[in-house]
Amino acid sequence: MKGFLDSLADLKSQGHTLVGCFPLYPPLELLHSFGLTPVVLWGLRQDITRLTRSDRHLQPYACGVARCLSEFVLSQGGEFLDAIFMYNACDTLRNLPEILQSGLEQDGSSLPLFRLHIPAVPINPPSASNYLEDQIWELTKELKKFTGRSFSGPAFQNSTVLYNQQRRLIGELEHLAATGRLGFADCADIVLSAGRMSVSDHIALMERTIRDAANRTPGEPAARIMLSGILPPPAALLDVMEQAGLMVVANDLAAMRRSYGYLPAASSDPGAYYEDLYSNHHPCTTILPSADRRLEHIMKTARENTVQGFIFVGEKFCEYEHFEIPIITQMLAAEGVRTLEMEIGIDDTLNLDAHRTRIEAFAEMLRQETGRSRRDKDAV
Amino acid sequence: MPSDHIQGGFRKNTSGKRLSTMIMNDYLDLHRRASEGAFVVWIAIIVPAELFSGFENVVYGVPESHAALCAGKGAGPVLCEKAEGFGYSTDLCSYARIDIGTAFDGGKDSPTFGLPRPDLIISNNNNCSLLVKWFDVYHRAWGVPHLVLDIPFCYENQKDRDFRYIMDQFGTLISTIEEMSGQRFDRDKARESVRLSSEAMKEWKRFLGFAAHRPSGITAFDSFVQMAPILTSRGTQRLVDHYRLLADETEEQVKNGIFPVPDEKYRLLWDNIAPWHQLRKMSGRLAGLGANITSASYTYCIGALEGEYDPYEFDGNDPLAWLARLQNFSVCPHGLNLRRKAMKEVIERNAIDGVVFASNRSCKVYSLMQMDQMRYIREELGIPCVMIDVDHADVRKYSEEAAFTRLEALLEMIDA
Repeated sequence: MKGFLDSLADLKSQGHTLVGCFPLYPPLELLHSFGLTPVVLWGLRQDITRLTRSDRHLQPYACGVARCLSEFVLSQGGEFLDAIFMYNACDTLRNLPEILQSGLEQDGSSLPLFRLHIPAVPINPPSASNYLEDQIWELTKELKKFTGRSFSGPAFQNSTVLYNQQRRLIGELEHLAATGRLGFADCADIVLSAGRMSVSDHIALMERTIRDAANRTPGEPAARIMLSGILPPPAALLDVMEQAGLMVVANDLAAMRRSYGYLPAASSDPGAYYEDLYSNHHPCTTILPSADRRLEHIMKTARENTVQGFIFVGEKFCEYEHFEIPIITQMLAAEGVRTLEMEIGIDDTLNLDAHRTRIEAFAEMLRQETGRSRRDKDAV
Repeated sequence: MPSDHIQGGFRKNTSGKRLSTMIMNDYLDLHRRASEGAFVVWIAIIVPAELFSGFENVVYGVPESHAALCAGKGAGPVLCEKAEGFGYSTDLCSYARIDIGTAFDGGKDSPTFGLPRPDLIISNNNNCSLLVKWFDVYHRAWGVPHLVLDIPFCYENQKDRDFRYIMDQFGTLISTIEEMSGQRFDRDKARESVRLSSEAMKEWKRFLGFAAHRPSGITAFDSFVQMAPILTSRGTQRLVDHYRLLADETEEQVKNGIFPVPDEKYRLLWDNIAPWHQLRKMSGRLAGLGANITSASYTYCIGALEGEYDPYEFDGNDPLAWLARLQNFSVCPHGLNLRRKAMKEVIERNAIDGVVFASNRSCKVYSLMQMDQMRYIREELGIPCVMIDVDHADVRKYSEEAAFTRLEALLEMIDA
């Protein structure tokens, strides 16, 4: 798989107009319907190896996601991007638009910026749904001005169909990984590449991968685990998990299942479409109205997939995620599911050995418990 | 100088003594009324507490304010450690850790015995969006309903659309309390409470205005301490009386030539939440260097519209409209341009020589614009600046010597 920068270079050479988006759940379909190619500025740690520009604007206790995306926009955004889109999520990210603009201005450049405030309350009351709808229509006006194209209901509907196809295929891909036909590291790599490819190219890539993997023999794990966090752990750690016999049978990762888990009905009306998408979004810590559904959803997923262990891969300094972990751990423990809590900081890709030891110990514990459980059953 | 006046420190004059009594009584009253059956609400600091005066028997507690009080009284580390023991990360906001440590250990080690258990929790997301997650902890642990006020962040002045959206949500807030408490909302009572808040804010700004005097009539540390009743007595006559007394006393002292740092050489501005565990130490040590932090963005924003300094006065009409328009009366909901505008005004009004940017890892929303803000103040306004590392409530994450090395460097820059 090509890296982020090479992928963007390919898109630019093919004539795409690129809109760099953050955080993870932007209105991709709307941007696409205007002939734009949204790329999601997320999970750039493998590609952004130095933070010299970002460090002039952000303190080191900003999360790695924010620091890497800032570095990219400030150092290479002008080369690759035609505009930026952001919506409200955490405190760190909502501060970024003006910081990025200020940084670009210092270098004598600028990028058009589009913003959206997604209601942080249930969207079903008219005040919130009207507010969201108003903003979506205002965004369409800004996009019309930017692209010179008018909004088209049929074009938007086509985009919603395309993105739903992508969501369905990602579901299939994750299912193949959950049954051992595809390594989870490969699966994660392909899912995350959605943020740096055109949607049709990404669909084609997934169709090929699914065809190749579908006939493989299912694997038999030593232990079934669920992964949670903002991003999947580095590939090296996923390899450690695999070698230790841990199979990722479900995930609650923001960059994977949470991004693609809900399929809204295709529609030519963006107001109605995004009301549906954000109201019924796969539960995520950053989509506040979904918070009450999240815990039960995790428990249900764990039960349905007979999960034995839950590995939380915390993004260092992401308060949203860390606030929920103590209660999730308690609830899972009550159902006999063990939890391993890890934290990945900006420098941790260079030194993964401590994590390796903990994963191996966790796997050993799950194996022993599985063996004990089997012996108990045999004795009965 | 009166014997009860500590150089660079706090005024143990009438308003200083009255403050201690007032805060103690506010917490005692909160516990008493809760035990007698009042409907208890926990709120984030800029939830419009004046609305509760529109009900017969609704009381409110402010976890952030309680956490600041604990930190100021030296209970921060022990309460943080309790939360960490319950599994909460040390990287979470220290207010949150103090509050969770208190709430899940029955109020032990808190100078106020914590807050009475709430019937309803109300947060908002413009001042601090992670506060919603913090309040969710109680919502889940205790099954208490949690109402979120969704207040859009201000990259520019509040838009009409945002104003209407906020007004709609105030309607939901009122009907929720009516349904849960069985009490009816009285708009006239709320109007009176709003009138009093507006009056109190005028007196507050009169008090802060003495920072323009040379030498300054106040320190920002005075304002940090004196802001507490805004969070416990909002919308009351006693708050108006208190701030009037505070401003009158300060005026009298200035007339009589009594100043907190009489040999003031450096007039500084503080940007961030107060370092609650360091108020006395920091103010005293700075005074010894002839430096006075006279102004603070944390306290000059109170009562003003976004990007402004002067108080936003109530016109006597719709109290909800005034509250909705003033839903950004803290620095944190403001974008970079609005923060620059307000700080520039205060630098000019108060003849500031240098700015201290307190980089606070417990408050990302306040801190993660400071490097660009600092560049603007230094390069565009020509004012020397320094950044020091602070945690507002967890003293374990603060190094006095490292901070003062930089503060002394700032004074040297001003001299240069």
